[in-house]
Amino acid sequence: MSQNILGEFEELVLLMVAALHDEAYGVSILENLEEELEKKLNISAIHVALKRMEEKGFVKSRFGGITESRGGRRKKYYVVTALGKRMLDEQYALRNGLYKRIPEIAFG
Amino acid sequence: MQPPRKAIDFLRWFCRADYVEEIEGDLIEIFGKESVEAPRWSKWKFTWRVMKYLRPGFIRSFQNVNQPYSPDMYKSYFRIATRAIAKRKMYSFINAIGLSIGIAFSVLIYLYIQDEKSFDQFHTNKEHIFRLDKASYSPQAAQRGEYPVKRSAYVPLPLGEALKDEVPEVQYLTRFSVGGREIFRYGEKVFSEEITLVDADFFRMFSFPLIAGSPDHLFSDKHEIVLTPEIAEKYFGNEDPVGKVVTLRLQGEKQFTVTGVIEAPPANSSLSFKILVPIESHPRYARNLDQWGSFSFPTFIQLHPQASIATLRLKADTLIRKHMGEMLDRWHKEGNVPAGFSYFEPHYTNLADIHLTTDVGWEKVSNPKNAWILGGIAVLIIVIASINYISLALTTSAARKIEVGIRKVVGAYRGQLIIQFGAESLVLATISMFIGLGLVALFLPIFNEYTGKGISLTSFNVLPVIGTSFTIALAVGLLAGSYPAFFLSGFLPVKVLKGGFTSKFKAGFARPLVVFQFSLSAFMMISSVIMYRQMEFITTKDLGYDKEHVLVIPTQAGQTAKSDKLIEQFRNRLITEPAVVSVSGTSASFSQGYSQTGYKINGEDKFSYVYRVDPEYINLLSLRLKEGRNFDPRIASDTNAVVINEALAQDMGWENPLEENLNWRQDTLGLGANVIGVLKDYHFMSLERNIEPMFLSLDKKGAGYLTTMLVKLSPGNVSEKIESVRSAWKELYPDKPFDYSFMDEDLTNQYRSYERWMSITTLSTGFAIFIACLGLFGLAGINAASRTKEIGIRKVMGAELSHIFMLLNKQFVWLAVIAFLFAAPLSWYVMTRWLSSFKYAIAMSWELFAISMLLGLTLALLTVSYHAISASLINPSKTLKYE
Repeated sequence: MSQNILGEFEELVLLMVAALHDEAYGVSILENLEEELEKKLNISAIHVALKRMEEKGFVKSRFGGITESRGGRRKKYYVVTALGKRMLDEQYALRNGLYKRIPEIAFG
Repeated sequence: MQPPRKAIDFLRWFCRADYVEEIEGDLIEIFGKESVEAPRWSKWKFTWRVMKYLRPGFIRSFQNVNQPYSPDMYKSYFRIATRAIAKRKMYSFINAIGLSIGIAFSVLIYLYIQDEKSFDQFHTNKEHIFRLDKASYSPQAAQRGEYPVKRSAYVPLPLGEALKDEVPEVQYLTRFSVGGREIFRYGEKVFSEEITLVDADFFRMFSFPLIAGSPDHLFSDKHEIVLTPEIAEKYFGNEDPVGKVVTLRLQGEKQFTVTGVIEAPPANSSLSFKILVPIESHPRYARNLDQWGSFSFPTFIQLHPQASIATLRLKADTLIRKHMGEMLDRWHKEGNVPAGFSYFEPHYTNLADIHLTTDVGWEKVSNPKNAWILGGIAVLIIVIASINYISLALTTSAARKIEVGIRKVVGAYRGQLIIQFGAESLVLATISMFIGLGLVALFLPIFNEYTGKGISLTSFNVLPVIGTSFTIALAVGLLAGSYPAFFLSGFLPVKVLKGGFTSKFKAGFARPLVVFQFSLSAFMMISSVIMYRQMEFITTKDLGYDKEHVLVIPTQAGQTAKSDKLIEQFRNRLITEPAVVSVSGTSASFSQGYSQTGYKINGEDKFSYVYRVDPEYINLLSLRLKEGRNFDPRIASDTNAVVINEALAQDMGWENPLEENLNWRQDTLGLGANVIGVLKDYHFMSLERNIEPMFLSLDKKGAGYLTTMLVKLSPGNVSEKIESVRSAWKELYPDKPFDYSFMDEDLTNQYRSYERWMSITTLSTGFAIFIACLGLFGLAGINAASRTKEIGIRKVMGAELSHIFMLLNKQFVWLAVIAFLFAAPLSWYVMTRWLSSFKYAIAMSWELFAISMLLGLTLALLTVSYHAISASLINPSKTLKYE
């Protein structure tokens, strides 16, 4: 296990950041996640997760250009770091390994 | 649709600077979409989302940790504060004065309250010492319609002794009888002195230090006497008084040996004395030894340290039952005393409580309510001064806005500015504190006179005094200064330096303040005017007799026929004296005591005041007879007759009093005294009471002897006449001191306490008004200053001076009127209650209120006029130059 722990929600956000490549920012992450999960989320939860992960070094951010919409406020774009990608891979490998251990029986 | 402004402001306020832009942007984007698709709750949702960001990781650090708080800055602040104060000398002065007066007053009140609380606290045994007093049913009070229980410190002589003998809880006992003025002689020196009679235990119980003599041995011999240093010096000069023999006339001349010198009691002692003599020498001691029915000797007991007062009560009750039970039962039956009441119910007042127990009459007793009233006045004055401070500071802020702007531009944080302005008010407050302390020292003697106290700034109270004034100054400085500090430091540099930032400083704030101040002052003014009128009324009201130029001289011959003879002698001697109009004798002069007697008429209990007089009495005082005649010395039966007043006739229901008899001595043989005359009612008691039934009698045995002589002087040079009377006295009675007083002075002394209170109220009113005017003055000044441009323009357009004058003053006149409208009903209510304690009071007429209002208005106008006039005289070219 790596030194840092990736929370469940954080993992989801991280996955989405990775999936969106360079287009991941608060609202886009939110909307895509809501679509995938089919449930309503709060933007603050997303931001909290992003900040935490930025602190741990899983993502890094940069400011976008000034646009007309959003009252002239710039967007902050997030991308996954190498460390972050490694975390995702590890998680995936872990889950997968455990999943493969399940015997072939019919569950109720 | 726009997202809610306040939510965004709030977010910007609390959120970390490096997150704000992103979060705001995202929220606005979401809002943008939602307001189109689902507009109904979109604003609420926005606000709610903002709230969700109130989390530890997102809140910015409010400590401006980068602020420099170096000590140098404080030095600078101090200098700047001083400069700022000096620049506006007049306003600083006004503020400082107002605050100083407030501080001075509070300190004085503090001293007063401390003094009151400190009464009798210096006795080491105070916890165990109790005064015996009684609550008793008072038929006189019942007759007057009051609650029929009166308390008094006069108890039977043997009660104390019995308690000490039979109740083990009682350790020590002393009576404390103030004997009045008796003739005291040593060699050639003869004066009448106040004698106090006590038991030997007195010296063991109370902590009055002895300069000579030891507490365990004093008064073992019953002819000892102990003096205070003042007396010792008066009679013995520098010689050692111990061992000297003096003569006292206490029912005959007796000799006493000085065995001790005791320090005079301090001003805050309820027990005061000059000369102490054993109680056994009391003129009525022998007679009262087993008189359980005579209540005339104040008594103190000291309990053993472990004794419980509850046990004492029980045992004392048993004891009282034993000695007085039968007598009390008899009295209760005879007097028809209602159930639940008694003629003698014992009470025990702890020594430390005596001073503030107003129910029981005792020397220097004072009402604890007074302390509250005074405290209230002090708080009032401070509140007014603080309000002044705030409003003045705020209104001068207009001039400082540029300074604030520049400071901020140069890099001052808001906190620093707050400290700077706070420092200013602190410096001012400290200056006020020193001035205030100075005022205290200056006015302490006058304050003492007004309150009848002897407070001095000793080493004991200097520290608390300074501490109190410092605390007040600090509190006011900080509190009152904080609002202006916050207000001033909040100016935005951009707005301020660009100009056009007229802090239309809400005159909405200043006005209610000024109205409040003025209402308070108006209230006090109206009350003072009414009080003044009432006192004037009281002191000049026609009492029904002529009190001018009447000397009141105690005969000092005791309750014996000698007194009567003395009066005769004196009268004969002075018949040829042109200075003297007439001489008469009475048992008691007005306000120097009275006598009441009770009797049963047809089974009903009646009470009446009685004075023993001689036939000259009525004429000397110019009392007016309604019907009948005066006593005639040639008619023998007149010695048995009475002259009554109208009130008595009314009380008895007599239509023709001259045909009636008053059986006041309860003669079983005859019909009693026949009524030969009816006097028009006159105020023989203080004006606080209604005129009650009273009669005059020549009867020596029943009504007492003529112990007081009245000498009416002819008009003219008073001191000369007194001299002639004095030499006549010295001729006839060389070994009696010539003690006299003036009847009209005696009477005004009755109202001494009211006068004192009136002085205090007038003084406080004066201060309150002064401070309110100071505030008004400042306000008017600023008002005028901020309108100089307007005035300049008006003048150029041709306005007259008087017009400008009225323009500026109009608003203040309105303020004053409103203030009066608030104050009038309040003072009406309070004064009605005060006046109700007087049976003879003035009516609160409209003119009283009108006078006060006029006075107030005039004062207000005078105050604001200074500025109005100077403003209207300014040359417009000066004010309009900078357009």
